[in-house]
Amino acid sequence: MNDRMRVALAGNPNVGKTSLFNVLTGSRYKVGNFAGVTVESREGQVSPRYARGRDITLVDLPGIYSLTATSEDEAIASAMLSGRERQQPDAVLLVLDATNLARNLYLALQTVELGLPTVVALNMSDIAKRFGMSVDTEVLARELGVNVVETVARTGVGAQALVDAFGNTPARLGNGFAGVSTLARVLTTFERTMTSARARWLVLTAAAARADSELPHYALLSPPERAAISEIAAPDLFDAARELITARYHEVDRLLAAIRPREPTRDGAPTMAYSRRIDGVLTHRVFGLAIFVVVMTVIFQAIFTWAEPLMGAIESIMAWLAAHVAELLGPGLLTDLLTQGVIHGAGNVLVFVPQIALLFLFIGLLEDCGYLARAAFLMDRLMARVGLHGKAFVPLLSGYACAVPAILSTRTISSMRDRMVTILMIPFMSCSARLPVYALVIAALFEPSEGGVVLTSMYALSTVSALAMGFVYKRTLLRGPTPPLMLELPPYRLPKLSNTLANVSDRTMDFVKGAGGMILACTIVLWALLSFPRPTIAEDSSTLENPQARATTIEQSYGGRFARALEPVLEPIGQDWRMGIGLVGSFAAREVFVSTLGLVHGIENSDDQATPLRDAIRNARDPETGAPRYTKLKGLALMVFFVYACQCMSTLAVVQRETRSWRWPVFMFVSMTAIAYAMALLVYEGGRWLGFA
Amino acid sequence: MKVPTEMSMAELDVGQPGEVTRVAGEDAITIRLLEMGFVPGTRVRLVKRAPFGDPLEFQVRGYHISIRAAEAARVEISLSK
Repeated sequence: MNDRMRVALAGNPNVGKTSLFNVLTGSRYKVGNFAGVTVESREGQVSPRYARGRDITLVDLPGIYSLTATSEDEAIASAMLSGRERQQPDAVLLVLDATNLARNLYLALQTVELGLPTVVALNMSDIAKRFGMSVDTEVLARELGVNVVETVARTGVGAQALVDAFGNTPARLGNGFAGVSTLARVLTTFERTMTSARARWLVLTAAAARADSELPHYALLSPPERAAISEIAAPDLFDAARELITARYHEVDRLLAAIRPREPTRDGAPTMAYSRRIDGVLTHRVFGLAIFVVVMTVIFQAIFTWAEPLMGAIESIMAWLAAHVAELLGPGLLTDLLTQGVIHGAGNVLVFVPQIALLFLFIGLLEDCGYLARAAFLMDRLMARVGLHGKAFVPLLSGYACAVPAILSTRTISSMRDRMVTILMIPFMSCSARLPVYALVIAALFEPSEGGVVLTSMYALSTVSALAMGFVYKRTLLRGPTPPLMLELPPYRLPKLSNTLANVSDRTMDFVKGAGGMILACTIVLWALLSFPRPTIAEDSSTLENPQARATTIEQSYGGRFARALEPVLEPIGQDWRMGIGLVGSFAAREVFVSTLGLVHGIENSDDQATPLRDAIRNARDPETGAPRYTKLKGLALMVFFVYACQCMSTLAVVQRETRSWRWPVFMFVSMTAIAYAMALLVYEGGRWLGFA
Repeated sequence: MKVPTEMSMAELDVGQPGEVTRVAGEDAITIRLLEMGFVPGTRVRLVKRAPFGDPLEFQVRGYHISIRAAEAARVEISLSK
């Protein structure tokens, strides 16, 4: 028996794989990423109470229905199990849903065919028994040639027997496929260059890759394998694939008959009986959509409104901390660096935590109970028009609150390309940080009666633009067919809160560790840009306390000079250097636009008292002509600019983190700024041409 | 008397069962449909159409799956009895 081993945890989605992983590892694990792409990996040691002196590492693979990958996460699971011997795990722990063996056994056969030592966990065996779907485990073990253990992951039943079986289980190649002619011929050809286990796995991937060489797994095939594939005519390859899948399902049917002699049919879905009644309401033509709207409103409210007090508290704590540090150290450059750079930057990271945690709490609960699949079912028709999957809906909606958690939540979209399209669409949704900008401009330059229409127009513009951009990206830059929707609608189940909370904490920590450093660094850089060179006049008065002095500092800073240099570019869209500084400053976070603009106008604490800033903007006059410096048209152009511009370094930091490349954040920033400028130009110059002042 | 009729799974009425005879096409979607259990001889039933008409919800091999009509049209069925 091996004392040190690496076990891969595989299984269909929705079979309780995560619960079992948490039971076996005692919820102590590392979250990482599989190399290259952002597919989350979890790896942990089997806890000593089960391992009993052995050193067993458990790797949780993404949920898969088969080893023929159509998306990046499936490709990772498939590559690890089917890969060449060195990368393969020492054993596979295959989790099957005991209530749905008619489909689950297909993956079991495919895994056993790989010739890896396999232990089968027959999970949810308690529910199966309750529905009269008991399994003769001895027969199943004998027929599959592997150890089979009944488990209940929710309670931990069977965990010990499972761990004891690791290393005890023989490797075995599945039954041959005699009498299936094309398949046999294809296998013989493949086996000239590879093992028969690899050959069997390759048949389906080869057939799928023939039609679509962009399939994620194609890149992982070796040159001799590609050569072997090209030796066989496409129709033959496809016939072989059909024969192989059909033969496996015939074997599944034979197994089912052997292990459940009394079960009348493989086609009924007894565990779906109560779910069908629930679906009678939740996916109902009228009630279903009404409830969907309510659920989405609650999620939206949570991240838009309920997170607010928590975010406020974090900001207060950071302000308190900054004040104390300032008091302790006295005025000086180091103090400014610590308070306005480091502490403010840390605040800029932590302020996202409530929204991220709340969004993932809701998404996690909805996913675990089975509703998220229904949400995708309801919304798929609308999303398919853009060219996306129904699963893109919730991340896009979350974008109205904040792009950062929304982009993180795109991990539910399995196709990398469609995930990228969704990520590119999200920053166009008007997030909550843009609202203060709209509110300030509307309050300063528009009549109260016009406010509602203007604000609604901005949100409508952002929604239409996001969908239009998705439509365009899907057909140009990230061209691809609308992904097929083959979405299991699992039985409704009560979510297990501890699993959801563990996931919430994983995602939050991942953000803080992964994107936090960059946000902190950007804050410090921006602080430096707006603080240097130091003005000489402010020697005697603390810059923090004197708004006029601070305004001068900003004006003379590199950032201020940059904004002044930008003035010729800003003029055609109706803006001046003051707004330019606001734009530069707001890059730290959109809401900073308001406070930076306040500072430029020499007003302190404009966050709390918007009135003086509003009046300052409204009453500002051009010193030469005496005409109002800002007009409705200029205000409108500014708002339109903000609808499109990606004025948010945190969004860019998260995109960098999720895509593991600088290409996408740079593209996002450049393209969105260009669109924003063009649209603002269109509004301002178009408005002037039409005769609006 | 009823003769077994050839039609696609997307044309079923809600609640109506059928038996898979073939999955048309030669690409990854066909492979995926087959691997999800739509192999010849398997019984399927249309459970529901989504509120906007698409996608469709089918019962197959003891579970429920949602598939768009465009993809479901590849699954040819016969109406037994």
